[in-house]
Amino acid sequence: MFTRLLFESFRRHARPKALVLLVLTLGMSICTAMFSIATDVGDKMSQDLRTSSGANLIITPEEDNIEVNVGGIDLKPAKEGKVISESDLPGIKRIFWGHNILGFAPFLSGWRTFTVNGQAIQGTLTGTYFNQPVQYGEESFVTGVQQINKFWKVVGEWPSDGGKSVLVGADIASRTRLHVGDKIVIKTSKADVSLTISGILNSGNAEDQAIVAPLHLVQQILEQPGAVQKVLVSALTKPEDAFARQDPSQLSGAALEKWSCSPYANSIAYQIQELLPGTSVEQIRQVEQNQGRVLSRISLLMLLLALATLAASTLAIFAIVAATMIQRRHTIGLLKSLGGGNGAVASLFLSEAALLGVAGGAAGFGLGAVLAWRLGQIVFGSTISIHPVIFIIVLCTAVMVAFAGSAGAIRKAMHVDPAIVLRGAV
Amino acid sequence: MKRHELFVRLLTKAAWVHKGRALMALLSVGVMAAMTTVVLTIHYGVEAKLNHEFRNFGGNAIATARNGVLTEKDLMLAHRTAGNMAIVPVVYAVARTSTGESVVLGGADLHDLKELNSWWTIKSVDASGSTGVEALIGSKTAKRLLQNGEPLTVMFRDKTLTLRPSAVFHSGSDDDSRIYVDLAQFITLTGVSPGSAYLRIAGSPEEIQIETERLSMAWTGVEIKPVRQIIAAQTVVLGKTKTIVLYVSVVVIVLIMLCMAATQTSSVLERRTDFAVMKALGASNAGVNLLFAGEAALISLAGGILGFMVGAGFSYWIGEVNFSDALLPPPALLLPVLLGSVVMALVASTAPLRLLYQIQPASILKGE
Repeated sequence: MFTRLLFESFRRHARPKALVLLVLTLGMSICTAMFSIATDVGDKMSQDLRTSSGANLIITPEEDNIEVNVGGIDLKPAKEGKVISESDLPGIKRIFWGHNILGFAPFLSGWRTFTVNGQAIQGTLTGTYFNQPVQYGEESFVTGVQQINKFWKVVGEWPSDGGKSVLVGADIASRTRLHVGDKIVIKTSKADVSLTISGILNSGNAEDQAIVAPLHLVQQILEQPGAVQKVLVSALTKPEDAFARQDPSQLSGAALEKWSCSPYANSIAYQIQELLPGTSVEQIRQVEQNQGRVLSRISLLMLLLALATLAASTLAIFAIVAATMIQRRHTIGLLKSLGGGNGAVASLFLSEAALLGVAGGAAGFGLGAVLAWRLGQIVFGSTISIHPVIFIIVLCTAVMVAFAGSAGAIRKAMHVDPAIVLRGAV
Repeated sequence: MKRHELFVRLLTKAAWVHKGRALMALLSVGVMAAMTTVVLTIHYGVEAKLNHEFRNFGGNAIATARNGVLTEKDLMLAHRTAGNMAIVPVVYAVARTSTGESVVLGGADLHDLKELNSWWTIKSVDASGSTGVEALIGSKTAKRLLQNGEPLTVMFRDKTLTLRPSAVFHSGSDDDSRIYVDLAQFITLTGVSPGSAYLRIAGSPEEIQIETERLSMAWTGVEIKPVRQIIAAQTVVLGKTKTIVLYVSVVVIVLIMLCMAATQTSSVLERRTDFAVMKALGASNAGVNLLFAGEAALISLAGGILGFMVGAGFSYWIGEVNFSDALLPPPALLLPVLLGSVVMALVASTAPLRLLYQIQPASILKGE
């Protein structure tokens, strides 16, 4: 009987029900889209930032004396400082958060005298990976400054990692009038090495005053085979919070596991440091701290906007559900005059509201998911992941709003005498 | 009763008799206007707020004197050309400690330097017993040189300077291996004047680029280069955020308008009996249209004003919570929000009348 009453109510009042369903669907789709964007925007933006604004971690050898470095130039003799072994570097990808490591670039620098067109000039020679294939275990990947420093602009061609072509920093090129195609000669203890300029580099950093060459070539010239002085790592990280700043050595088992299982810059640095003993791994705080703060602001902005949208949608839905339910007071009057108790009548109308809430919530979630997916494609060129918990939030919100909209109207209608309602006096 | 008096009476009575329905219409328009105000305020205000956040990234350009020395005249000229800009001249030299170890000594205005590098973690050091000039010590240098509590002395050529470490900072950069002292003390010790300065130019990446070019033209003898890494980060963050806020605004406004239109249309269709009575009493189509449109315009105007105020409050709250600074809608936004509310309400309330015109009033009154 109850099911039949419910079914007939939907069949006979199809238009008001459809309106409530439409408004619930629209309202919940906005909420789904907004919550999905709010929860995923930080990760998406972080990924874009990593590819556009360079590394966020730096690995250096644990020095037993102070670094003497001005303008990116190491003023200590090349052989005085400690170095990192190049062969250990592919292991970085083996850490727990290996998939978050987007790339790395090792560096080795030394002060050298170059001869160009018979003229001797002094400057820094820096070796790095440009686009170097690296093998670790069964897997291989390509890494280097072309991957992690997308803000480096090269006029001309990028050198190949196995060749003898180099980039010349924009400052040194303009000062000494060097051009693409010119030859640079460097004296070594064995023989002179001739390098060809393939491009002019504009990095906005210290490399603008250096000659940047393939790492293996520089190791050979500086007679430091397999050595690197520092490694820049680009890793996808979670913005730092109070828990991230905890000292891992002070954490207990469960807390340490939770800390290690969160992709904080600190925990990734800690894991790399465990893998490479004798090194110091640090956040590049200017990049990491500030980007973390900006990303937190954007995520919170989206979340607040989502909350505002939820409040607005709830109000809009509430208004329409309440208005539709008030119009049902004649039905309530009739049911009561036929012997229906307050509980039975209320459960019938609340069941209707629950069904509408579930249907509207589910349809709204579907529509919102499509909207979020489309927005992700347009803005980030990738899909926005929709957390399953959003489905539960949206469904519960839709049912609660439908209940809230119905409850007030039912309560009001129940206080009216059935005889008066049926006479049409109210 | 005159015609216009009857019109006004019908208008007000309709809203008064059906208070619930009028309130529902007011609420739906108000919600639409509030959400439109919130998303448009965020859309127009987010760029300025995020640009402000990027001030924390430190210097976004470096000025280098071509002759190697930045004079007082140079710095005054730069301040005059770009008023809203932080300029921190910095100079370095390699000094030696009392144990003969090399250390990079930097000279800068220490207050300006700390303000520019706001991401540094700075710990004060109790050096009340020490004498000498104030110094900021990088964390790696402090770890090596400050452990035995002895006074810190640095030497450059034949001159010696005793330092009073006032704070130890952690920067996550080469600065951690340096010691900073006041610029005047640095010049007295080394005789070297600054040849470069960090600049923090306020604004968007485009504004920074324009300002850099303007400054380069006015400041002859000085080369100004933007720090590409920071500008690239700012460009990506601003571009993506503005795009996502724009699309979100469009989606939210369109969907909330559809919600409002559905509510308004349903409200008009519920009033088909009123419509039939008016038609049966001889009202013209134009008269009925005018009455429904007038009612919708009045309610939407009130709802629009109310919604704008609520939306402004919501935006203010979002700004305070997220950016610790009020985010308020520009006054010029009021007119488009009100116009949009009225136009949408007019369309949503008069469009269903076309359906009702096709039905005989008698059929409606009979309940068919």
